[in-house]
Amino acid sequence: MNMKRLIISILVAFVGALTVSALEADSTSTKRFDRRVRWHYDGWERLKPKTVAAQYAGGMGMAAAGVGWQYGRRDRASTELLVGFLPRHYGNEFRLTFTLKETFAPWSISCCPWLSVEPLTCGAYVTTITGEEFWGSREPKRYPKHYYNFASRLRLSICLGQQVTFTTRNDVLRCVSAYYELSTNEIYLLSRATNSYLRPRDYLRLSFGIRLQICKPIER
Amino acid sequence: MVEYHPYDLHISGETSINAKNIARIESSLAGRSEFAFAVISDTQRWYDETEACVAAINARSDVDFVVHTGDLSDFGARHEIEMQRDILNRLRVPYVCVLGNHDCIATGEHVFNKIFGDNDFAFTAGDVRFICLNTNALEFDRSEPVPDFSYMRRQVETFPAEARRTVVAMHAGPFSEQFDNNTATMFQYYVHRFPEPMFCVYGHNHQVAVDDFFDDGMLYYQCPCAKKRIFLMFKITDEGYEYETVDY
Repeated sequence: MNMKRLIISILVAFVGALTVSALEADSTSTKRFDRRVRWHYDGWERLKPKTVAAQYAGGMGMAAAGVGWQYGRRDRASTELLVGFLPRHYGNEFRLTFTLKETFAPWSISCCPWLSVEPLTCGAYVTTITGEEFWGSREPKRYPKHYYNFASRLRLSICLGQQVTFTTRNDVLRCVSAYYELSTNEIYLLSRATNSYLRPRDYLRLSFGIRLQICKPIER
Repeated sequence: MVEYHPYDLHISGETSINAKNIARIESSLAGRSEFAFAVISDTQRWYDETEACVAAINARSDVDFVVHTGDLSDFGARHEIEMQRDILNRLRVPYVCVLGNHDCIATGEHVFNKIFGDNDFAFTAGDVRFICLNTNALEFDRSEPVPDFSYMRRQVETFPAEARRTVVAMHAGPFSEQFDNNTATMFQYYVHRFPEPMFCVYGHNHQVAVDDFFDDGMLYYQCPCAKKRIFLMFKITDEGYEYETVDY
């Protein structure tokens, strides 16, 4: 199943490129329209999450919530850990999902002191789900080797979206962002790549979310 | 476009298709001893080919119904089965779907059960009883009897008066890696307990094959996957049946 390897390596390269570009030499200068500044923690405090987020849909359950870390030049990159759930009605049993999400927002356009727009966010995430029916990298032993050759438990998704950010004067709640994303995963991409039958509504998925930047850090 | 999870059970569109289509088949063919049906199989992730297959069957006037011998999905994801249903729903004639091993992946079986129906089912077309069985034993890992001999026995015992012959349909044929081969001779025994068993149809191995697995004269016809762009046609006559493969 070389296609699977190819998709995984593309995703890994994609996330890698995002991370590297985000970690470029730090610039404290704010651009004319981009007023994001790097929020700085020192030492072990750098492990403190800078954001909390909640997302509706997008393959990580009915809703998911978690914490995130923003970093890189003008905090363009973020890594989030989200825990979601699928109610029994939608999953045959109550299920939890766990998502590691990497997002990159290259630009922020400041409209006024309290409102800015991120016209493009792009990212990738990997989601896992609870339940005995699913398997991860190892298929159940009853199957001959490499029988299905994919992990039903893991889904790799990529997404594109937009975000608006409202800046508050509150010390604890620094700003509130609302975003939407269009995402797809590797099994939908593979189906689309091999069939002209699939229309965008068959392989693109819409999700919505809110992200809060918490705790006022020291500004450089 | 809003989806909670690719394996959620948030099914949109038509459900209980096998039951509805069985009612259509039984009423339209009641009392007939001559009719024709097509067998298609393993259409997983071959949506374009499945569309072509539906168009090819719709272009014929001699098909009374279609039997799909399983594997509508490749990964067991809900939307795969929904898309296959939407394509197959364009068939002018009624169709039924048998459970395939890929349809059992993750929550796929639940989706199949809601959209199509039970794992084992039977219907009467004219004077022929069709016994459609789940033979994907590897998927169930002894958690359920597969194939379900008590179901087969009940079908023998409650064989309807209007039928005099039998066709057995399944996804994985005897001696494939999915089949519980320790029970293969029991399966052979129960197939022969049905009144006048004519032949068996199955899929799974993606190629055309005709085998007398048990050297007992019972032929097993394998339907290839949609990628091969071939379906099987069976013309049931008063005396027997005719078989052909159709390229599309």
